[in-house]
Amino acid sequence: MSSTTATSGLSRARRGVAPGGSGAVPGKRKSKLSAQTTRTFFWLLLPSVVLLVLIHGYPLIHAAVQATHDGDLLQTGNFVGGENFASVLSSPAFWKAAQFTLWFTIVGVFGSWLVGLGLALLLRTRIPAGNTFKVLLLLPWVVPIVVSSTAWNWLVATPDSLIPSIFRGLGLGTPLFLADPTLASITVMVFKVWVSFPFMMMMISAALASVDTTVYEAASMDGASKWQQFTQITLPLIARSTYISWILMTIFCVNDFPTIYLLTGGGPVSATTSLVVLAYRTVFQDFATGPGVAIAFLMTMTLVVISVILYRQIRKSSVE
Amino acid sequence: MNVQSAATRSFSRRNFLGLSAAAASVPLLAACGGGSATQGGGGGAGGTVKFWDMPWATPAYNDSAKKIAEGFSGANNAKANYQIIQWNNFYQTFSSAIASKTGPAVSTGGGFQAFQFEQQGQIAYADKVIEKLKSNGQFDDFLPGVLDPFKSDKGYVAVPWQLDMRVFWYRKSLFEKAGVSLPTDWPSLLEAGKALKKVGAFGFATGAGSGNNYGNHSMIMMMVNNGGGVWNKDGELDLLNDRNVEAIEFVRELVSNGIVDPAAVSYTTDNMSAQWKDGKAGFGLFQVNVPQRVGDTSGDLLVADPITGPHGDKATIVFPNNIMMYKNTPSQEASEEFLVYYLGQLKELWKQKLMSALPVFKSITELPEFADDPNNVKIVKDWQPIAKTFAAQGSTLNANLAALDGGQALNQFSQSILTGQASDAKSALQTFQSGLESVLKK
Repeated sequence: MSSTTATSGLSRARRGVAPGGSGAVPGKRKSKLSAQTTRTFFWLLLPSVVLLVLIHGYPLIHAAVQATHDGDLLQTGNFVGGENFASVLSSPAFWKAAQFTLWFTIVGVFGSWLVGLGLALLLRTRIPAGNTFKVLLLLPWVVPIVVSSTAWNWLVATPDSLIPSIFRGLGLGTPLFLADPTLASITVMVFKVWVSFPFMMMMISAALASVDTTVYEAASMDGASKWQQFTQITLPLIARSTYISWILMTIFCVNDFPTIYLLTGGGPVSATTSLVVLAYRTVFQDFATGPGVAIAFLMTMTLVVISVILYRQIRKSSVE
Repeated sequence: MNVQSAATRSFSRRNFLGLSAAAASVPLLAACGGGSATQGGGGGAGGTVKFWDMPWATPAYNDSAKKIAEGFSGANNAKANYQIIQWNNFYQTFSSAIASKTGPAVSTGGGFQAFQFEQQGQIAYADKVIEKLKSNGQFDDFLPGVLDPFKSDKGYVAVPWQLDMRVFWYRKSLFEKAGVSLPTDWPSLLEAGKALKKVGAFGFATGAGSGNNYGNHSMIMMMVNNGGGVWNKDGELDLLNDRNVEAIEFVRELVSNGIVDPAAVSYTTDNMSAQWKDGKAGFGLFQVNVPQRVGDTSGDLLVADPITGPHGDKATIVFPNNIMMYKNTPSQEASEEFLVYYLGQLKELWKQKLMSALPVFKSITELPEFADDPNNVKIVKDWQPIAKTFAAQGSTLNANLAALDGGQALNQFSQSILTGQASDAKSALQTFQSGLESVLKK
């Protein structure tokens, strides 16, 4: 079988088309609603919209006021314009935290995705006690973060903890997983991957479940290898779920406070201070409300930009 | 069936943007949200004094404190109700409640909280309470010097009720094993640390991990022990004085000699307690009641003598926890009456051995339930008289201390010393001072 035949077969398979078929035409249905229906929709939506505006609008406005004023949590002080933003953006601590947040997010998103994908594919095969495994694998996501961070602390915190002891036993020295700045950063990221992979696994498992197995049969008939099936059928067919899970995990990672704070408190020497931890510490430990809220604002804007970019990827993948 | 097209139809751009905006606004909501200004029922009117208290010890403490508070019966049928406020985000809880006029009339709280709220005009001065304590004899019962830090130009900002003291503890068996005497000054502390290291223990046990301020306290304690401090006598920042530089150079020497656990920078208070319990900590700064805290009451953990600095100074640090009154009260008279009543009942908490701090009243230190423990007696006799507050070298507490205690500048400083990252004491102190200045300006 020629590679051309295999490629065209894979292309048909991705579209869910049997050999010789033309496939479904993705139609665009333009709904035309009557004026009365539109009015009904408007009135039905109105309570939810009002509620959303109250829940989200008020804190946003309040935050905007705080970010542009000095003062504290109790009393808003004088209007300072963009001074808080300027002081935050000129602070090395902010950029250091931004850098850590970037790495934490990249490792958190793609690390958990890779582990989740691997396990989702593994669980798709017939393995004994697969369902039990599935439940067990969900535990890191289900267990409260306070409990899991305490468990991780006891595993790595002191030179006599279990993991350093194993390293020592293997003649690899005694790594200080939370006391060395580089190792602490890596430990926090690994912890994040450990906490998050079940979510990714669930998302990917759900996407894989919706893929028709006949697609693979068609590809096999066309001579596609397992790797070709994975890269040219599985990945494209779960692309939408993948992008959505990346968006959600990006938001989870950037906003993640407890994973970092409970394990390292942002230390040692700010090595694991993310933007959200920095915002918290600025507001509640330094009592500098304006700069702290300004950090939160900058985070929000960045998240919206990243989300929109990834959303465009989703649309692109659906067009393809 | 084309799964993708079905999904496209059910997930529009508008839906998505709404979802992402909502999710992305989480940090904003977290940063500015109202928190949980939980309220005790029935407060604020009808002569009921709302008393908010923190979990200072085990739940049994709060049960007992509640019983005391609710036993109050004042003039005009004034009563009190009791509510526990968790430490988590406590400042936000108090701030939100006070801003919405649903806060307490009387409360315990953070060590410098009273001064923060005083700055915002929310505190009712306790001068009349002090007058009443003078007339009922309790004033003379205060341990020496515990009341003075609360006296501002305008009056008493709060009244102390317990002392969170920092003292040196040691494990007797480790010193015997190492064949070294207890340190009495800095050179002997260094020598003892080296000897303890040989038997696998640390001679300057501390911790600066998540939520653990003992590392910070150890740094300030060493400065104060050398006659220095964060502030000068007028309350201005004075971190770069020679005594501080000398003290921090000494701590760096302890670190470089392996006398400080290299993992200490990441230790939580639980990790620290475990190090003490497991015989890894030979000597170090900790709180009152360490044997009970770490679960070793064998008598091997003992309070050491205060050590003398190179210039003959002898000092430690103390956090005088206090009770404050707020202007938002159903009756100022009732608040004052309640506070006098509550201070008079404090002995019950020590009688029941519920407290992990020193009392502020001499009469309580003489209770058999307290005085039976020789460690307690030693702390009252040897450590309390030399204890200074975070305001050292000054003496009056103020709102700036809240930004110092647990603030980022001090954390960074302590961690840079404990990890050995700081190249020298002076530059580390300079960075500390700059960080603190930037916070105090805001």
